[in-house]
Parts: sequence; structure tokens; C-alpha cells
Amino acid sequence: MFRETLIGAWSLLVGMKVTLSHILRAPVTSQYPRERIEMSKAYRNVIRLIEIEEIGSHDCIDCQACVRVCPSDCINVEGERPDGMRKKRATLFEVEFALCSECGLCLDVCPTNTLGYSREYDQAGFRRDDFLYDLLDEWRDKEEGVRTRLREEEAQKAATKAAAASKVTAARKAKDEAAAKEEGPAAAGDAGNSAAEGEA
Amino acid sequence: MTAPHATTQFFHTFDNPWIAIAAATGALLGFITINALWLIWLERKVSARMQRRYGPTEVGPFGLLQTLADVVKLVGKELITPDHVHRPLYLIAPILAFAPLAALLSLLPIDADWVFHDFDITLVLLLAFSGLNVIAIFAAGWGSNNKYALLGAVRAVAQNISYEIPLLLAVIPIVLMTRSLSLHEIASAQSYPFILVQPLAFIIYFISATAETNRAPFDIPEAESELIAGFHTEYSGMRFGVFFLAEFTNMVIVCAVATLLFLGGWKGPLLPGFVWFFIKVYGLIAVMMVFRWTFPRLRFDQLMTFAWAILVPLALVNLLVTIVVLKL
Amino acid sequence: MMRPKSTMELVPGDDETYYLNMGPQHPSTHGVLRLRLHLEGERILGAEPVIGYGHRAHEKMAENRDYLQFLPNTSRIDYLSGMIYNLGYCQAIEKAMQIEVPERAEYIRVICAELNRLTSHLLWLGTYLLDLGGFTPFLYAFDDREKLLDILDSVTGSRLTYCYGRFGGVSMDVDDTFLRAAADYCTYFRKRLDEYHALVTHNIIFRHRTKGVGVMGPELALDYGVSGPCLRAAGVARDLRKDEPYGIYDRFAFDIVTAEGGDCFARHMVRMGEMEQSLNIIEQAVGGIPDGPVLAPKVPKRIRPPAGEHYFAVESARGHFGMYLRSDGTDVPVRLKLRTPSFVHVATMPVVLPGTMLADTVAILGSIDIVIPEIDR
Repeated sequence: MFRETLIGAWSLLVGMKVTLSHILRAPVTSQYPRERIEMSKAYRNVIRLIEIEEIGSHDCIDCQACVRVCPSDCINVEGERPDGMRKKRATLFEVEFALCSECGLCLDVCPTNTLGYSREYDQAGFRRDDFLYDLLDEWRDKEEGVRTRLREEEAQKAATKAAAASKVTAARKAKDEAAAKEEGPAAAGDAGNSAAEGEA
Repeated sequence: MTAPHATTQFFHTFDNPWIAIAAATGALLGFITINALWLIWLERKVSARMQRRYGPTEVGPFGLLQTLADVVKLVGKELITPDHVHRPLYLIAPILAFAPLAALLSLLPIDADWVFHDFDITLVLLLAFSGLNVIAIFAAGWGSNNKYALLGAVRAVAQNISYEIPLLLAVIPIVLMTRSLSLHEIASAQSYPFILVQPLAFIIYFISATAETNRAPFDIPEAESELIAGFHTEYSGMRFGVFFLAEFTNMVIVCAVATLLFLGGWKGPLLPGFVWFFIKVYGLIAVMMVFRWTFPRLRFDQLMTFAWAILVPLALVNLLVTIVVLKL
Repeated sequence: MMRPKSTMELVPGDDETYYLNMGPQHPSTHGVLRLRLHLEGERILGAEPVIGYGHRAHEKMAENRDYLQFLPNTSRIDYLSGMIYNLGYCQAIEKAMQIEVPERAEYIRVICAELNRLTSHLLWLGTYLLDLGGFTPFLYAFDDREKLLDILDSVTGSRLTYCYGRFGGVSMDVDDTFLRAAADYCTYFRKRLDEYHALVTHNIIFRHRTKGVGVMGPELALDYGVSGPCLRAAGVARDLRKDEPYGIYDRFAFDIVTAEGGDCFARHMVRMGEMEQSLNIIEQAVGGIPDGPVLAPKVPKRIRPPAGEHYFAVESARGHFGMYLRSDGTDVPVRLKLRTPSFVHVATMPVVLPGTMLADTVAILGSIDIVIPEIDR
């Protein structure tokens, strides 16, 4: 009994030594509103549309893959096929962040990889509307320009394709002629290359 | 022995005794409040540093005014009296907890010639008055008519009764050594701190005092992980605040008694006496705080076993040895 | 089989005993568990856990969505070892569909699962001491846990409810920074463990509060199906990672930590020992991780496990987490039954609690480490 008391008393002193030794060490908490923490690079928050270089804007084509995969039904996407374009463009991309569970499944299924995470972290709000994110907001002013350019690109592509197609026919013709005349394999090779480009 | 009555007689500086009483009460209440504010701040800072946090930093320099802001908040809160309470007991309990404090503080000699009033048996009076605390706690617990509060109250009564015995047994050797029951005389009689000859008595006293003030690791009457808030579960606003004030003032009182009995009171080199007194008192309180933030809580029955099976026999042995040595 | 005696009926004319509702809102029931206690003074005569306050119908949700969409749910069943549940669910589906997982992904899974086990045990340590009235170890444990969460955050992007696993691998590759951080943490944490032992394990008050309290012997534990640290504390060396190795756990050398007595102290020692073993596993995994892809190249687009019954179990931080799946070959499971350890553990309370003191209730409830959403899945 006596021995145990002594050992017990010693254990208490050892415990106090541990806590006291921490008094001298620097605090580990961060003073939040004054000090901001850098979020990790994998940080997940509300999704946003990220810029795709070739487009110069987001590349949401209203495929509805994210809408279908979302377990929380928090994504709403609408789109239209702009006049003179083959691809669709999103006209509405809403995320109800209050419902989102940040699982990241939408990023996985996005065929154009145009979904990413926002880096914000202190979103607090008083109303449900505060968590209704309009992801197209930051891209809206650019949209007209992007569409014009895309339209032109598509037209150009179509043109090159048509040209390539005609070249292919031309090449075939040339080949036929070459088979007949036994000349110009180089020209035929050129034509083949440009045809491949056109298809790509 | 010099008669402390001849030292500063605070009351005599005023002609009218009523003014004197009012002034003394005001001074004591002011001390209680300011002391509690500063102690709560200290506790928060000490615990924060031990836990690698900052503690209060926002209100005032180093967060010194944080507790003041908290008190303002507490005062501003609605005093809710639940329907099911026993009203007289429920309402009187905070007053009971608070009332003895001024009387107790007035008995403490702070410096060689700084005593509110002193007479032969201050020590007895002080220990007797500090027992009133348990009545307040029991009134609060019983009056609240709440199972958790009642459990807290029952625990508090058992605990305080058990720990009063080793506390007194630890004090008696000092009384025997000085042949006085006056705190002023005991402190004056110490040419060296009595802790050097009575270390065991000091340890027993300090442990019992921690238990008497219901501080962790003996805070079972208000063990928040078991009993929510124990006896003050049903109290809100400043009624709760009063219990809090009482707790911190009781800490000062038991530590002041320890200082006077074992650490030589106001005696010390260079600095004025009252400064030494407060350094010692707050030093002991800091140790109590380190206890609280380091140890887990004892269980109710272990607490009793500790008092009756370890502290009381040890105190008795210590008393016996002291008597034998004194008689030799 | 031992059965709890029914002590919960009010006895007419009995003025000496009373009933106390501990919870659903109580500081130490860790959420919304309600314990109906029959007390005589401070002594407990009977106890009855009342569950269901945190019910979120995870099993029913599984029947209403496809396999992939259930993925975020998994880490919310037991939010403290979410990674283990999340990866376990992926492994269950992979087993049912026979999807091969790349080596690197397997290693990442082991590292992340063990890091997650550490966070869970650390949180347990902190809150357990809080239950017993010790405040400071709580903050230390949370500090260490935050460091771990930072490491996990750097690869998964979340701190608590990870949705990191994917069928056929994991969603993101790890980099050297992550691996180095995990290895560094192991070195750091070994030192901290000594400090915890000095502050907590050797503390006389802690020992008195936990030794011989809440004894759950091997017989009772096996009868009730207790698993995990609670079972090992009773001296039964059973760990799914060792006994039925899943993933690549058979490649790592580690011990099954057991203790004698089955009391709260034994459970504490088992968890402390397990933290050390987790460190061993992490160090081995970090050392042996190969290069390569982290997601299987050929995962079917539609997840349709073959019709029939499938079962898979992993060792979570709390014990045996089993998934029983009945599939009819469509996108949506017919039934996904989740066997969670906390549910079993809380069921032993009517047997373990009677005869103890009120303060012991808190100590016992804390030591079995329950997570409420896991009880009420």
C-alpha cells in the first residue's frame, strides 16, 4: 500500500513534468482569421470549371455525365447547340454546395476534364442561396468570343477535312494514274499524311 | 508574541463604524471579483500554454480583459428558474456559497501589520466557515431537483466531510508547535517556513485543500463528463457565475492558509511582505492549476479510500511523531 | 450464452433505486447514444442502450443508388476510420467483380488505411482521457492527429470523410512528399508515444480508474461477437489483417497486440500497441512501394457484380467491418448489409455495466470506442 502510494506519487510527478515541459514550447494552433492556412494541393471544395487551353475557356459540353453520377443530385447542367456548331455548350451549370459531399466522382467522369476544385475554404452563409454556385459566372463574358472562335475552328476543321477528303480522292486518282504511269509515289505519301491529320 | 490588535486596525481609521463596515465590505468584494477575474484568466492562460494553445488573446493586452467580457455576458444573461426546482433552496444556494467569502477573507493577515481584524482563534473560525461551502453545494443540488445535480451534491457532501478530517489533522501539528490558533501568530512564529519540518503535513493539507475546493482531480461533484455540471447544472447567468466566483475565492483562501501555516506567510527577503504573501499564494494556486490540467479525475469511491485509508493514517502518524518530538 | 438480466422494469414500492437517462445529449456518450441506467445511489443495477438517434439509413441508401454512388457514404458510416471503410468497400466490390488492383495502389491503400487507424486511435486516446477528466492529453492527441490529417489531406483532399478509393485503385497518385511525410511522422510519433505513456499509461489515477473496470472476458467477447481491440484486450489474438489477410497485408511483418484482463486498461494498452504496429506497417509500406499506375486500366464502366452473394470484411480501427452484398447483376445492390463493430460492442453494455459505479460507465463506454453513426447505420 505504502509502496504503491509512493510509486503513484512519482507517476503523478512524471505526468506533471510532461505537461510543464510543454509550457515552454511554442503553441501549435494558428490564429485563424489573421493567419490563413495554405490548403493542400489535393484540397477538395466546391467544383469549378477550369480553363482548357485549346478552348481558352471551360469546355463543358453538357454531356450530363456529372449530373448522372452525382450521389447527392447537387449538379444542374443545361446546354444548347450554338448555331453553326457541332458541339454543345453549357448555358447553365449550378452546384448546390450545401448538398455536395465532395466525393469527386464528377471529376472522374468528366470527359473533357474541365471540372476542378475551388481553393476557397471559408464559405459560410446565412441562406441556402449562399451555397448555390453558378459555375459559369466567371466565364460568361468570354462566352461569345469563345463561341465565335470555336465556330471558326469547327468551320476550319470541316474545311480541312473536306480538303483532306478531296485530297484523298485526288490522291487516289493520282495513285490510279501512278499505277498507270508508274510515277509519283512521293506525292501519294504526302496526300496520305494530310488525310491522317484531317481525321485526327 | 506581539499582539496583532496593536497593528493596523483598519476599522479605526474611520470614525463611523458603519462607514468602516461598508468600506471593508467594498474592499473585500472588490478583491473577490478582481481576484477571480485574474485567476480565471491565469487558469486559461496556464492551461492553454500547457496544451500548446494561445488562450485568450483578443480582448485587452494578452487577453486580460477576456474574463471581464465574460462576466458582462454572464450578468446580461437571463436568470432562468426551472419550474421543478425547490425555489427557496434553489435561490438561496448561490448566496450561501458567496456569503462566507468576505468573512473568510477578512481573517487573513496579509502582512505583518495588515490585518482586517485578528483574534485568538482565526484558524478555527476560518476552517469552520469554509465548511459552509458544502451546505451551499448541497442546497444547490437538492434544490435543483435534478438527478445529476443531486448526485453532484451527494458526492460533494461525502467528499468535503471526508477531506475535512485529514485537513484538520494536518493543521494540528502546526498548532501544537506554535501553541496558537491565531493565523497572525502562527505566521509570525515562523523564523523558517514550517514546510521544512512538516513536509508531510503540508502535502496532506494541500491535497485535502484541493479536494475541499472541489478542484480536479477531485472535482467529482461537478465532473462534467459524468454529471454534466454537477450541482450547478440548473443554474444560469450570474447565479452560475457566483458559484464560479466562490470556487476561485476558496482557492485563494485555502492557499493563503497554506502560505500562512507552512510557507512563512509574508516573510521573505527584499520585497515587501504582502508581495511575498501573494507570490506564495498564487504560486500554490498555479500548482493546483497544473494538477487540474494534468490528471484524470478520481472515482468517487477511490476518492473516499484515498482520504480514509491513506491521508488520515498518514496525518495521524505525522501528528503522533510531532507530539513525541515536541515532548522530548 | 450469457444474456442480460432484465432489470429495467420499475418495481412498485421501490424507493431506493431510480432511473437515469444518460444521453442522448450528454458530454460523454460521444454523440447521440442514450443509456437508460437503473441506479442505486451511484451503483448501476441495470443498463439499457437506446440507439437510433443518429440513424441515417446507409444500408437503405445503398439499395437506391448504384455502386459508385454509394462510395461517399462509406466514409460516413464510421467517420473516424472513414478511409478504412472506404477502401474496404472498394475491395469488396473488386473482389465480387474480380478486378485486379495495381501494386502501387495496394501499397497506397495500406499506408492510408494505417494512417487512418492512427488518427482514429489518437482521437480515441484524447477523448477517453477527456471522459476520465484529463484535459491536456486530449489536446496533445488532437495536435498529433492534425499532423496526420495534414498528411492524408495532401493526397486525398479531405480531412475526415475521405472518398479516396475507386474500384480498381485509388483516385489520386501519391508523391514523394507524401511518402516522406508519412515516414517522418513515424519517427516523430514514436517519441510522442513515450510521452503518452508517461502522461497517461503510468499515471496512478488513470490506472486506478481503468484497471479491473468493465471486464469483458474472452468468453463474453466471443459470445457477443466483439472484435477489434476490445477482443484482443480479452486475450484473443484475432486480427483480420493477419488471420484473413486482405489486400497485401500478408506482406508486412507486424504483431497482433493482445492484453490480458479484458478491462479498460487492457483495451488502452492494446490500442497504444496497435499504434506502434501501424507505424511499423507504414514504414515497411513506404519502403517497399513500387512505381506504376494507381488505377486498374480495365475497370468496367458499369459496375455490375455478378448475381449472388458476396462477403468481404476488413479490420477497421474498431474491429470487424463486414459487407454482405446481394446482387442481382444490375447496377443497384439488392441488399448491402453492413456488419459494424460498434453495434456489437454497445450490445454488451447491459452485461458489462451492472455492478459498476456511475463514473465507470463513462470509463467503459469510452474504452470500447463507439462511433454512433456506425451503430445506427
